[in-house]
Amino acid sequence: MARGRSRRPRGDPDGTDTPAAPSAARNGAGLRGLAAWEVGVAGFLVAVCLIAIWELRDARPGTFEPLGSGPVPRVTAGLIIALSLWIAWRAWRRPAEAIVDPGYEPRPWDAAIVAGLTVVYVLVMASRTLGFAPLTAIFLTLAIGWLVRFRARTMPWVVLVAAITGWGCAYLFTRVFIVDLPGL
Amino acid sequence: MIEGLLGALAYLAQPFPFFLVALGTVLGIVVGAIPGLSGAMLIALTLPLTFYMQPVDAIVLLIGMYVGSITGGLITATMLRMPGTPSNVVTTFDGYPMAQAGKPGRALGLGIAASFVGGIVSWIVLLFLAKPLSVWATRFGPFEYFTLILMAMVLIASVSQGSMVKGLIAGFLGMLVSMPGVDPSAGQPRLTWDWYVLNGGLKLLPVLIGVFAVSQIIGDIVAITKRVERVETTMRGMLMSVADWRDQAFNMLRSSLIGTWVGILPGIGASIGSIMAYTTAKNMSRTPEEFGHGSEEGVVASEAANNATVGGALIPLIAMGIPGSVIDAILIGAMMIHSIQPGPTLFLTNADVVWAMIAACLVANVIMFAFMMGSVGFVSRIMYVPRTFLLPVILVFCIIGAFALDNTMFDVWVMLGFGVLGFAMERAGFPLGPFVIGFVLAPLMEEKLRSGLMMTAGSIEPIFTRPLPLIFLLVSIALLLMPFWRSWRERRENGPASEPAE
Repeated sequence: MARGRSRRPRGDPDGTDTPAAPSAARNGAGLRGLAAWEVGVAGFLVAVCLIAIWELRDARPGTFEPLGSGPVPRVTAGLIIALSLWIAWRAWRRPAEAIVDPGYEPRPWDAAIVAGLTVVYVLVMASRTLGFAPLTAIFLTLAIGWLVRFRARTMPWVVLVAAITGWGCAYLFTRVFIVDLPGL
Repeated sequence: MIEGLLGALAYLAQPFPFFLVALGTVLGIVVGAIPGLSGAMLIALTLPLTFYMQPVDAIVLLIGMYVGSITGGLITATMLRMPGTPSNVVTTFDGYPMAQAGKPGRALGLGIAASFVGGIVSWIVLLFLAKPLSVWATRFGPFEYFTLILMAMVLIASVSQGSMVKGLIAGFLGMLVSMPGVDPSAGQPRLTWDWYVLNGGLKLLPVLIGVFAVSQIIGDIVAITKRVERVETTMRGMLMSVADWRDQAFNMLRSSLIGTWVGILPGIGASIGSIMAYTTAKNMSRTPEEFGHGSEEGVVASEAANNATVGGALIPLIAMGIPGSVIDAILIGAMMIHSIQPGPTLFLTNADVVWAMIAACLVANVIMFAFMMGSVGFVSRIMYVPRTFLLPVILVFCIIGAFALDNTMFDVWVMLGFGVLGFAMERAGFPLGPFVIGFVLAPLMEEKLRSGLMMTAGSIEPIFTRPLPLIFLLVSIALLLMPFWRSWRERRENGPASEPAE
């Protein structure tokens, strides 16, 4: 949604008698960069806090003190909602910033793919269908392999590191530190 | 005092405890020297390995890591213009220009010496201040504690980098996240959605690993193509001459004291300490124009101050159970995992642990100085380790760490969830420090408020009638209003065009 549609300069309820402030609305761009993250995070926090307040509706009053279980989390959630709405409103009103070149090519999809692989890795681990060592070796081969674009020259090293980490961790944690590991 | 300290030093002189401090310090330096990895991440990941150690051994290992990680970041800050940890940001201003000008050894030598002096000065303050402060804090009632924690929370939010409102949101969110589970005062579950796994609440370790390690890994993978420019390392000029020591003595001492003071203030940490010391050094320098272009005074001020915050931050932790920095919040978690209750009675209940912490701080500083002087050339090569290999391997360690706490996959999911949340919060400019400190302090804050109300039959009058709670409350209000007042003043001076405070 374009930002400008809902924005009106202060003191101009119709948004007709003064030109729009310089903003993303003027060049047709939507929320982007920091402002988009701010609005997204603030919206998520408001949703979480509303759910928390709803859950607290049955919190019992205190027996020995006047507060009970509900008021402190309720006030905390209320404050988060109020401040998040303030942040979202400020981000919404702020003129769009020019996107600064970070000096490298960001790879958000790489992060998403590694995150996806991690979720699958943890799911398989939780299902106990494969042992920790081979599962970790497979996960690392895929995750590191993806990050190095499965280059043929690098892959032997990737497999070696994955195997050493998988079986090395299994030995180190179960035999040396005596810590249980997830998986079969 | 002397007996306690000597006893702890004698214990640390034994091979295994000494090995643990040395290992912790060296690992801290190495992790600090790798861009993208931080001391908080290292300590959070090491916590599960300490479950089976004696509490004293576990704590000295973690203290070594704390001291090492603050110093390790000096290397990348100087050689790559990439602060290894956030506390070394200011070191890049002058360390990197010095390295570019062919004096990397000189910059590192000054930084290492300043780090050592900063660590020792703050250790002396820690030694002499921790016990009297803890004796004083034993007189605190519930309302004193409640308002002190309130003040700490506001202070953390007000000095967080970026907007104060975002700092407050992060702090409140940390508080809210700590609240699911059985309410200790009423014995009733709350915010559990009738889900039994939440009856014990969200545990500190998975939340910490998620927020500090997983979020960092996600961010590092997004920036995986970031190139690291190599600077040729020549270690000439590392040793400071007598004249250097004389020239820098006052700057080192002043910056160390600033760092120690900033460290004592709850939750602020090393970044602010080094910024304050750097600004003071620049304002008082005869050659302020050199700052930012390779000033030796700048490197010394930044490094002395950031290391001094370590000892300073341990003071409120030991004396009152209030974390002086994010890593101290993790240390509180470590103490709780080992059934040690931080707070003013720590000197009575676990004197061995307290003296071991103080002694480990000294020993770790000495080891740090010796190791850095001897092997900085080697450590500086570690920072070129390929992150494509490193990050997924660290992710595996995160999963093991979260799982090992209670052998439940639920903790692993909690860790991954908070990793994503931490990443999103960082991208949106929300500081993570207040979140963790809110998470650690909220249960104590609520407990003190409710026990205070129980004592006074529901009256909050003591907050306004007792001197300390009133002072803490007034300071909190002043800290909250200060940015708005500053913004109002700026707007009055510069006209309405300037941005209102956040």
